[in-house]
Amino acid sequence: MTLNTPDTRARIEVFLRAAAGADAVRVTRLERMSGGAIQENWALDATVTGGAWSGAQEWVLRTDATAMVEMSLRRSEEFQVLQVAHAAGLSAPRPLWLCTDPAVTGREFFVMQRLPGVASGHRVTRERALVPDPARLARELAVNLARLHTIKPPQPQLSFLKVTPARGSIAIYREYLDHLPEPHPVLEWALRWCEIHAPQTEEITFIHRDYRTGNYLVHNGQLTGVLDWEFAAFGNPLEDVGWIFAKCWRFAGKHLPAGGIAEPADFLVPYQRASGRTVTAEALVYWQVMAHVRWAIIALQQAQRHLSGKEPSLELALTGRIVAAFEHEILVLTR
Amino acid sequence: MNDRPDATELLEIARRTLLDELLPRLPDELRYSTLMIANAMAIASREHAAGDAAASAELARLHELYGEAQQTLAGSALYTVLSSYNRRLGADIRAGRCDGWAGLRDHLAQTTADKLAVADPKVLAR
Repeated sequence: MTLNTPDTRARIEVFLRAAAGADAVRVTRLERMSGGAIQENWALDATVTGGAWSGAQEWVLRTDATAMVEMSLRRSEEFQVLQVAHAAGLSAPRPLWLCTDPAVTGREFFVMQRLPGVASGHRVTRERALVPDPARLARELAVNLARLHTIKPPQPQLSFLKVTPARGSIAIYREYLDHLPEPHPVLEWALRWCEIHAPQTEEITFIHRDYRTGNYLVHNGQLTGVLDWEFAAFGNPLEDVGWIFAKCWRFAGKHLPAGGIAEPADFLVPYQRASGRTVTAEALVYWQVMAHVRWAIIALQQAQRHLSGKEPSLELALTGRIVAAFEHEILVLTR
Repeated sequence: MNDRPDATELLEIARRTLLDELLPRLPDELRYSTLMIANAMAIASREHAAGDAAASAELARLHELYGEAQQTLAGSALYTVLSSYNRRLGADIRAGRCDGWAGLRDHLAQTTADKLAVADPKVLAR
């Protein structure tokens, strides 16, 4: 979908003028940003006249791509999540306005502050100059995650969030597998392992569920904002820790377990100190297995979007073939 | 029978041409798509070169795991039977009927290694 037609731009300008309480808003740039097979992010520069936002502004317009994956939130829900996250002082872009009127662009969207920095997981794990002090970045990520995990249910503003402890997730993943046309014995095996090794008791907090390299911005070597809140839920906080450690999210830094940027202790020590939680070696393995299962299922769903003919895409098609690498890692982790 | 070059040979030279001749002259914004095309061609080429050997071996292992008589199949019949075996195996694993099965993990690891040899061989090399 392109938003960059004169008509759509004009409607976006009208929306922004009202939302920002301005006399006039002129969109000077509207360009699709890279990344996001599920959501589209558009860099939006605007010249605002009058009101609190008067001046040149750099924003991001975030909207759905053509098809959704089953696990993700609607834009209106993600907007609420961002509001809560921002109010709690978490590192995240400031959410500005939500538009649910389909007459503007045809889809729900929201506008948020554009933060400086590089998100690309390939670059962050490869270019030393971007992360001159990896332990420092790992610490910032860990402390921010510990703060994120202080948000506990119930949250009146977040009543739509699913509650997904380990066993609940296993049931959901099995249901997703049942909707796929082909059988996946390794993933079944992994889920059985996860069922047998599931924690007896679990603490439930707000969790991000996509807190990993590639989803945060780094500027001058520092964390400037965590992106992509569309998978947020209430669940076991250690799920987020397993996710950022999982090999599938290390990009070029395969030998650096903490997000492909740092050693485990660089992340775990500050996380444990800030959260008061202990991350055992067993829990770290357990949640890395769950991470690979979950990513494998999302990948299979994405490939299915291509295979169904609904959304022909080479990128989605190739996603079907990365599943074998996750299955390999699952078998290594559970050896 | 077709004349040579065969499918693998055609894909390989097409991929080399794409990467060596086209890629350097393409604008930056087409780089990612071009690399994806090259990757898809490499996977298709390896899959064709590998043939049915891995699938036949997978079926033989499944027969053995289930203690059932070996049958030799080829072509689409092989994949149909393999798919229904895997559906049965998946259901058995989920129900806990395979807990403690000797040889199951090795079977799954071999199947996965064979898939990776086609999809992304460098993962096995790590």
